[in-house]
Amino acid sequence: MIFIGPHLLLFALFFLIPIFFGVYISFTNWDLVNTPEFVGLDNYKDILLNKESTFYTQLHTGLGNTFKFVAFTVPACIVIPLLLAAALHVKPKGMKIFQAIFYLPVLFSISAVMIIWSMMFNVSFGPINHYFTSSPNWLGTQPYAWIALVVVTVWWGIGGNMIIYQAALNGVSKEYYEAASLDGAGRLQKFFHITLPSIKNQLLFTIVITTIAQFNIYGQALMLTKGGPSSSTTVLLMYIQQNAFGSGQSIAGIASAMAVILGLCIMAVSVIQFFLLRERK
Amino acid sequence: MKKVNISTLISFIFLLCMTLIWIFPLAWSLFTSFKDEIDIQTFGFTMLPIHWVIANYQDVLFNNTSAPVAKWFMNSMIISVTQTILVLVVVSMAAYGYTRLRFKGRDWLFSFLLATMMFPAVVNLIPLYKIVDTLGWVNSYWAAIVPGAAAVFNVFLVRQFMIGIPIELDESARIDGANDFQIYTKVTLPLIKPVLTVVALFTFTSSWNDFLWPSIVFNDIDKMPITPGLQLLQGMYVTDIGHAMAAAIIAIVPTFILYLFTQRYFLQSMSLSSGVKG
Amino acid sequence: MHKKIKVMISCMIIVIFILSLGACSQSSSSDKVGKNEIVFWNPFVGPDGKNMQMMVDAYNKTNPKFKVRNISLKEADMYAKIPTVVNSGRNIPDLNIVHAERIKQFVDKDMLIPMDDSLAKYPEIKAENYVKAGWDIGSLDNKRYSVPLDVHSFVMYYNKDLAAKYAPHALDDNIVTFDEIKEAGLKAKKDGIIAAPVTWMKPAFLSVYSQMGGSITSDGTKPTLNTEQAVDTLKLYNGFVKSGITNKDGQDAGQVFKSGKAIFYPEGIWMQNDIKKAKNLNWGMTNFPQLSDDKNKMVNWSSSHQFVLLKNPERNKKKTEGVIKFINWVRDNSLPWAEAGQNPAALATLDNPKYQQMPQSFLIKDTTEQKSLKIFDYKYNGYISEQLDKIGNDTVFGKLDIKKALMDSQKTVEDKIAQDK
Repeated sequence: MIFIGPHLLLFALFFLIPIFFGVYISFTNWDLVNTPEFVGLDNYKDILLNKESTFYTQLHTGLGNTFKFVAFTVPACIVIPLLLAAALHVKPKGMKIFQAIFYLPVLFSISAVMIIWSMMFNVSFGPINHYFTSSPNWLGTQPYAWIALVVVTVWWGIGGNMIIYQAALNGVSKEYYEAASLDGAGRLQKFFHITLPSIKNQLLFTIVITTIAQFNIYGQALMLTKGGPSSSTTVLLMYIQQNAFGSGQSIAGIASAMAVILGLCIMAVSVIQFFLLRERK
Repeated sequence: MKKVNISTLISFIFLLCMTLIWIFPLAWSLFTSFKDEIDIQTFGFTMLPIHWVIANYQDVLFNNTSAPVAKWFMNSMIISVTQTILVLVVVSMAAYGYTRLRFKGRDWLFSFLLATMMFPAVVNLIPLYKIVDTLGWVNSYWAAIVPGAAAVFNVFLVRQFMIGIPIELDESARIDGANDFQIYTKVTLPLIKPVLTVVALFTFTSSWNDFLWPSIVFNDIDKMPITPGLQLLQGMYVTDIGHAMAAAIIAIVPTFILYLFTQRYFLQSMSLSSGVKG
Repeated sequence: MHKKIKVMISCMIIVIFILSLGACSQSSSSDKVGKNEIVFWNPFVGPDGKNMQMMVDAYNKTNPKFKVRNISLKEADMYAKIPTVVNSGRNIPDLNIVHAERIKQFVDKDMLIPMDDSLAKYPEIKAENYVKAGWDIGSLDNKRYSVPLDVHSFVMYYNKDLAAKYAPHALDDNIVTFDEIKEAGLKAKKDGIIAAPVTWMKPAFLSVYSQMGGSITSDGTKPTLNTEQAVDTLKLYNGFVKSGITNKDGQDAGQVFKSGKAIFYPEGIWMQNDIKKAKNLNWGMTNFPQLSDDKNKMVNWSSSHQFVLLKNPERNKKKTEGVIKFINWVRDNSLPWAEAGQNPAALATLDNPKYQQMPQSFLIKDTTEQKSLKIFDYKYNGYISEQLDKIGNDTVFGKLDIKKALMDSQKTVEDKIAQDK
């Protein structure tokens, strides 16, 4: 007991209790300070059904944008590292250096990365605008703002997936390929019939963790596009943060209800992950 | 044979192009941090500095700007290192408990912990703030250090590793009259060093780079870690590009150096966490 | 490899050890609130934060009985924190700087303490010694809730050489009208020079809106954003964008001005230290652009930083007096604040020749100018500001329909007010 005690205590205090507490306050009109009053399903009714309410608009805009972000980035964060891993798999010259460079940005903090990239896209000072004359205001017009967000997210976060795929490709037995070559299979056929099925598990795993990670999008939208133009990239976590900890009166009850809804979306994905982990046990 | 060469060549060219894309922002930021602010304002974009100056770094580090970057850096160091040490102690003990000690419902309890990993942390945010506030930790290092140690994933990782270690070693130590605690320090800890290194690296970098949580619990500008600090710097009402770049470069240096020294472990850790025996 | 890591880790631990020692010695001196210490919160995290620190240090050197401890917070965080601490009754600062626009709401929520009794000992803190716009804000229901530190305005910088070339007589009366700007802009367009950079739309909008006779509230509680005048205000700027006399969307207006490619540059007086950095730039400062040449109709958007005392049962009489003593000292020693580009509210600074040389002093020197400083002290100004910041640029650059944006903003502000218990 003495061994697992410290962790259990921390776990209970900073994870388990907050979860239940968090769900509870989504049914109250709490403002972080006074005693929460129970209001039943009012918050949920307000944000899910009341078309007149600002918070309804916030939830729909925010969740919509979060989903968009997931839909745009997840495929890119799977396909691009897979291509890189495949290219590295043939062991070209300087492979170690290449690998190191692609992995590097993963280790940088989001705010540093966003400062760098907001300068990259800056109309007055940035290289992108300088080299491509007549280029748009990247961070302030659509669809360019989305493209910018995806580019930055890919640059920042594909290292981990790339390494996983490399390890997976190394694990595919050479004999399969040789056998396929004897059958006269082409490159693409080999890839689809042998490679992909062999690394199926790792693919599934990375899709799940990438999706969960991208659902928590916050920093990129906050610092790069500032949620604009006209709230088209304001994601749900930004609204949650503003409502709970913004200036003015805290609306923690509504913010919690939004958090619970976002949480349910993530949870649906996490369940898959849980079963994957179970299998490996 | 010829085929192999062609595919190698194509791969090489593809990688080279991609690398350039990856390197360019970093290189340009580095150059920009050595530019004279007046040149930037006058000439807009240039690739290389017109005059090389280190003034940006001097200003940022010796607090000649309104952003106390040096202080933020120290705060981040203290938080990340303390959290790493705390996590190592707590997690290795817990993993020892879940693998080596027999008590009723042990595995059931652990399965329960694993199951809770499904719960998304976003729901915690607001209540966690309240708990930390009640403890009087708002604007103190503890707020950024302690809650992160509650994560289950690290325990899972270390436990997986320990299951693979034969229990005979413990047995023989026990015969020599060692108690649980001695076995844990003398036998287990040296054996699980590799996985602990991975956990340490992970914890340090994620703590250094944590953004949302610290930006909520720190609002005193002197107490902030560097990651939320940079966001504040971006929002300050004078856009000083050279300074912002210098601060960003300073913020990425520690994890960069760490990576240079321990690249092997980082790459291993990724495979470990995905359950592939690398 | 292992050796390397060992060395690294041991190095790190040593470094941390040293750091934490440093931190401990620091924190022990700064974390415990001394009995004779005034905890002073302010939102000065920009360049002005340094000047405030200088002033506090200078005050502490005079060896007052109660020393001041200066704590700068992020503005949004500070305003989020204030209700929290006041309600919980713990860690309440002894003295606070808040923006003038917030005072009504704080008084409504019963969070401020009137200062009348404590000011009795300091007769010099009185209306005659302060800029009217800054002083009047602090008086509600015949009680005094705040003392002004400054009045900061949104004005216009201009490039003297370019103005002489493209708008030779615009500055004769020190009022540049929007018509004059447009005329100059059309002339300068072919040379790649712009006349009407779009900067911070919130104060620009409010200034023009009130010149048009609009108001952000009809009766002090109800917001009125969705009006004819509001549409016209945004249309005016949108028209400038369409005729190509503004910066491009996303282009940094400050950079355009500092590199000598803009005739005019509407910005806050607090930006001048930034502009001073630009070499070879011959610049001046004038009123914000106006619709008419009539000096009595001028509006310059202003706000003000005000000293307030939050409700705190633990602040005893002696400490309160220590706080007022500091406020009184600031009244006579506001020059560093002027050097940060601001206009101190205390008229004592006016006689200082150094201050008289400063470009922003024109706003305070003459009474007509003083009358033009308009503070938008609507109780829910915070919500209005948030919305204007959201829609300002997007509507002006044609990315958002003006009428729809104003309608939605009106609605959002109303909803937020309804939530405000």
